[in-house]
Amino acid sequence: METELQSFIEKYDLLGCIQCGRCTGGCPVTVRTNLNVRRFVYDSLDEDILEELANLPEIWDCTACSTCAVRCPKGLKPLEVLIGLRGILVEGGRVQPTVRDALESVFREGNPWDKPRAARCDWMKDLDVRIAEPGEAVENLIFVCCTIVYDPKLQVIAQNLVRILNKAGVDFAFIGEDETCCGSEVHNLGEEGLFEMLVEDNTELLNSFNAKRMVTISPHCYTAFKNEHPDLKMEVVHYTQLVGELLEDKKLELTREVPQRIVFHDPCFLGKQNHVFDEPRYILGNIPGAELVEFDRCRERSLCCEGGGGKMWVETESTKERLSDTRVKDARALEAGILAVACPFCELTLDDSVKAKGFEEEMRVAEILEILGEAIED
Amino acid sequence: MNIFVCVKRVPDTSEAEIKIDETGRDVDSSRFSFDINDADNYAVEEAIRIKEARGGNVQVICAGPQDADVMIRMALAKGGDSAVRIDDPRINKNDPLQMAKVLAAYIKEQEYDLVMTGCMANDNWFMATGVALAEELGVPHAAMVNQVEFLDGKVKAHRELEGGLSEVVEMELPAVLTIQTGINEPRYAPIRGIRAAQKKELKVLNLDDLGISEEEVSENSSLIELQKLYIPEVVSKAEFIEGEPEEKAQIMADKLVKGGLL
Amino acid sequence: MSDVFVLAEHRQGELRDITLEMLTLANGVAEKLGGNTVAVLLGSGVDSFAEKVSGYSDKVLYIDDPLFEDYNSEKYQRVLAALLDDYKPTLLMVGHTTQGVDMAPALAVEKQLPFISDVFEFEFEDGKPIPVRQFYGGKVNANVAFKGDPPYLATIREASVEVGEPSKQGSVEKIDSPLKEDIDYRRFIEYIEAEVGDVDITQSEILVAVGRGVREDKNMPMVEELAQVLKADLCGSRAATDAGWLPHDRQVGTSGKTVKPKLYLAIGISGAFQHLAGMKGAKTIVAINKDPEAPIFAEADYGIVDDLFKVVPVLTEKLKELKG
Repeated sequence: METELQSFIEKYDLLGCIQCGRCTGGCPVTVRTNLNVRRFVYDSLDEDILEELANLPEIWDCTACSTCAVRCPKGLKPLEVLIGLRGILVEGGRVQPTVRDALESVFREGNPWDKPRAARCDWMKDLDVRIAEPGEAVENLIFVCCTIVYDPKLQVIAQNLVRILNKAGVDFAFIGEDETCCGSEVHNLGEEGLFEMLVEDNTELLNSFNAKRMVTISPHCYTAFKNEHPDLKMEVVHYTQLVGELLEDKKLELTREVPQRIVFHDPCFLGKQNHVFDEPRYILGNIPGAELVEFDRCRERSLCCEGGGGKMWVETESTKERLSDTRVKDARALEAGILAVACPFCELTLDDSVKAKGFEEEMRVAEILEILGEAIED
Repeated sequence: MNIFVCVKRVPDTSEAEIKIDETGRDVDSSRFSFDINDADNYAVEEAIRIKEARGGNVQVICAGPQDADVMIRMALAKGGDSAVRIDDPRINKNDPLQMAKVLAAYIKEQEYDLVMTGCMANDNWFMATGVALAEELGVPHAAMVNQVEFLDGKVKAHRELEGGLSEVVEMELPAVLTIQTGINEPRYAPIRGIRAAQKKELKVLNLDDLGISEEEVSENSSLIELQKLYIPEVVSKAEFIEGEPEEKAQIMADKLVKGGLL
Repeated sequence: MSDVFVLAEHRQGELRDITLEMLTLANGVAEKLGGNTVAVLLGSGVDSFAEKVSGYSDKVLYIDDPLFEDYNSEKYQRVLAALLDDYKPTLLMVGHTTQGVDMAPALAVEKQLPFISDVFEFEFEDGKPIPVRQFYGGKVNANVAFKGDPPYLATIREASVEVGEPSKQGSVEKIDSPLKEDIDYRRFIEYIEAEVGDVDITQSEILVAVGRGVREDKNMPMVEELAQVLKADLCGSRAATDAGWLPHDRQVGTSGKTVKPKLYLAIGISGAFQHLAGMKGAKTIVAINKDPEAPIFAEADYGIVDDLFKVVPVLTEKLKELKG
């Protein structure tokens, strides 16, 4: 136990914490729940109560948005303490059934949605696309994301990327059925062993392709591959970076008008975690007829949609307004016709909120690739 | 308490489109995802809970191909102590009585207090293997069990009957229980646990190891014969409502309210 | 002999529906075989059941003995083994019920019988009955033939046939029990009634039923809202109650309740036979499921093949509007 405790303190550098409270002060979910991340950092110094802390329901309220880490003056990552506590439950097998099923599904089928691996490419059924072969040179290897490939509402995102890249004459290929969960949410759910396995297997798989760079669609995949795969031998970019480049180089032209007021919601995993703020705005600014407006809380201060941190599988017990509801109300106040997102989870949570608030007539949530699909000629 | 729990690897066909293969006697399983049979997963959990409460040993038994090793390791990671996989292409998979014979050939040579199986396999729905196994072993059994208690070398099993009724039966040990889903909430098998479970023994046996002849358990000697599989014609009298989701909802709402269905 | 034997099933003073269903099926098979239908009734003081089944069989073999006060698979197995030896029927039918599945496989092993479970109909080939059953949750039918010599044993799926009016007047023959003494290795202790919750779904006029397709607990409020608008009670498939979305007393199906509401709205239920058996008596059935092949559509009056998450919220809204 002694060594295990030391590793917990050391792993999260708990002694580095000065208890300034900037983490909790910035934590977006505190308006809804009792989560006080500063206290968890402090309390975790006590070896005897780690187990007890792990059993507190609020450790599951964290959305892994990383605001606490961004704000920490000591460069600590308080959210990782919560994830470490989740890990105690995971290692004991004591997670709720939805989390269990998602993790088992990743282990068996390579995705958290309990879908067969064999159905992973169904979204591309009617498209003429290239599947990468090991060793064969390819400019851009596309990593689609489990949520986009299986959710019928989101498949259009990947389908539009194909249209756009074809139109721009880009050399690209997909991974096919072998594409396996990036592990971002696996890590956030505290399943470190499974995450390590995915990193190992994915590194081997992806390195077998002779790709110059990998293009991710989901910011969650982006951050996982960019920051957590040290042995990956290729550049990792988010598609907004690639598409921004194509627009800048005039390889892609947006010719059709989308006459809408658009507000962009910065995904936590793209913006505050990886500082990709300008590319999405550059793309949206290039859409003919579109008027781009900004949330008050934008860029580093963007409000989390509560879609990450494993929250797709864990419901927060709170009757207070969802952050995604707040967000769509803010978008409505700006009279935006489109709430633009660049993340599948943001799309799901915000779209739910538009329906919950009854804003369907006035506005819609759209992934940037969906809007781009309307802005290019076929 | 020495517990043996029998598990099967089955496809998840709840959302899958099923095609009969060219033999006409099997389905094309190339696009299925496979996992431990639902009820067997509950049986594994129950076995481990009994062991945790009363001490003892849990051995996992599976008749199936090497692909089943993953789910066997998962059961070991949860708390199983060792496993045996019986792998022999000569075994007829379409006769539960022959399967029971295979399982019994192994178990009857062991020291056991309790044998558990799921009450039904999601692929062939026989609901027969566990009870047949008890008869092969010559021990009492209870099928469709959703609660287990022990006292004085006896087991009290609550059987889940129709209409939410339970029947409590008391049996001498050793006994066979076929476990109904919902008896517990199965735990998660963490990957580190699965890796650690690589060290646990997983023996692979064939018919020769078990000392049974092919004639006893092959399709030729079965007393039943799967003639053909076919997709049933769904004779539907349903009126299907067409359109976009919103339109369908509107039409249905009209029918319910204006059609006097409420 | 070409007789078809049927094991009558009863519990807590009630003859169970499966009994007459099996006899109806058996009469058809016996006719083809040129034999008689014989009901086997084991019980204590259940003369009225003997009377009832005689209306559907050519003969009733009735063992009236306190040993059979309550069901015990081991005792039933001993008796049936002896009767098979004595009477040598061609086929014995047992319910594919919690009683039948607890006994039939053991009897088959003991007597080395060709045995097929969960049969819902028989086809005939050269005068020989070929059982038809299903695999993969009802998505595949299978013809499985008996090999070797009779007697054959089949367990029969509930609610497979419609039972008509009694058309026979079988003789009731009381016989002595081949089992003389009680057994001690398995004893019946008691029945425990399910706790009755706040709602008795067997009495509900309108039911909204949820299945695996609802996916998780957090989607239940969506369905609850629909139920509220319809003034309906909620019920579900086994998957829904196992997952804890609903209490167990809301489960519809062979292991749950049999319901006969005016309207049954099945949401995300594929329609495993165990579920269908519990709800097909509903007057009007509406099914929403994204799988067009789902067996629920075979029972439905109205079918919507679509994503329930898209349809249900709109349906709720439209109903609110229409109902003012």
